[in-house]
Amino acid sequence: MKDQIGGNQKRARFQALCQSLRPDLLRFAFWLSRDRTLAEDVVQETMLRAWKAQDSLADEAAAKPWFLTIIRREYARTFERKRLVTVDVDELVAREEPMLAAAEEQNLAEMRAALFKLPDEYREPLVLQVLMGFSTAEIARELDLSGAAVLTRLFRARKQLRALCGEDTSMDPEE
Amino acid sequence: MMDCAHFRRSMLADPHDPDAQLREHRESCHDCNLFSERLLRFESRLERALRVALPPEVSLPVEAPLPSDNVVPLRGAGSPRAARRRAWLAMAASVLVAVVVAGALWLSTPGPSLAADVVTHMREEPQAWRRTDVPVQDAKLETVLRDSHLRLAAGTGIVSYANSCGFRGRRVPHLVVQTEAGPVTVMVLVHQQVSKPVQFDEQGYRGVIVPVAGHGSLAVLTRGSAADLETIEHIAHRVLDSIIWTG
Repeated sequence: MKDQIGGNQKRARFQALCQSLRPDLLRFAFWLSRDRTLAEDVVQETMLRAWKAQDSLADEAAAKPWFLTIIRREYARTFERKRLVTVDVDELVAREEPMLAAAEEQNLAEMRAALFKLPDEYREPLVLQVLMGFSTAEIARELDLSGAAVLTRLFRARKQLRALCGEDTSMDPEE
Repeated sequence: MMDCAHFRRSMLADPHDPDAQLREHRESCHDCNLFSERLLRFESRLERALRVALPPEVSLPVEAPLPSDNVVPLRGAGSPRAARRRAWLAMAASVLVAVVVAGALWLSTPGPSLAADVVTHMREEPQAWRRTDVPVQDAKLETVLRDSHLRLAAGTGIVSYANSCGFRGRRVPHLVVQTEAGPVTVMVLVHQQVSKPVQFDEQGYRGVIVPVAGHGSLAVLTRGSAADLETIEHIAHRVLDSIIWTG
């Protein structure tokens, strides 16, 4: 009986944690995979793995990076299983057309299409910084890079993105 | 002494970098200040673009029992491994049911009550509605906006009134912008979510509440105006475009 109550409390706490993090996790998975269905699958599998491994989460305050690490690993596994080697960006944009069209403004849709075209190595740190609110040091830890390398990737990400969006880049510095 | 190239490289890597040297350079260099303004506006758009809507598409119909290592598979029900996997999936299903319901609530529109509250608030501040070409003092506007972590880009139009008002338990910016359709009231409701634009026309006030990805919503309304709802929504998006989020 006591075990059952403890189990229920444990599950309730885990559910609350998933509930609070779900929007960020789904968005992160979406920008990682650029595929809504795949993002849902990856997050579902992530929650499953997280539930199994929850004892390794010592501090709930560190839950977000912990979940993101699982998502990245799970996405890598999916990538290996499905051998998603080539990506046609135009096809991706077309597939996500309903989501893009539903954007509150056309320029947001254009920005999303441009984000699709960014190389993964630039898009991922950008999403971690802007969407997840990670510091440079946190991104470096997550991606196993130096701080300087992270800053270089973020610089290149924004520079390319601005060019893709047709922004005036005449004031942008060279590397 | 920091040079312009260094400043702009740093800004492109992290537009919200609070470094004091960056701030000093921005304040002393007109071109870099302009660069920074444009970049922050771009950053605001980027943040909104990344916050894609999350429709609650996943629906799992049943609440499942907790997975247990003591589960004994029925004959013909597959391997123990498969049974355990089903149990784990069932648990995940129950978790997902909970989060999908929460997601649906998170995305649900507030209905007419939010609009009604906005209108009620407007009726309490009739002095804000006058047509004028005298802008509110910069310091006052800056204080009101800073509290909500936003700024307005140049070209927003004349902001003739700015106040930090109590609304549903939070202080929110209440602005009046002079437009071609007359004075228009804007409330930045960073703590109120709507999933799609909500139009309303009641008690002599006509307006729209539009979602702002990652920053709640924006209410824009006119009083006794001939402006149609489409025009008001257009104004709302124009105001939205001029907002630079700083936090």
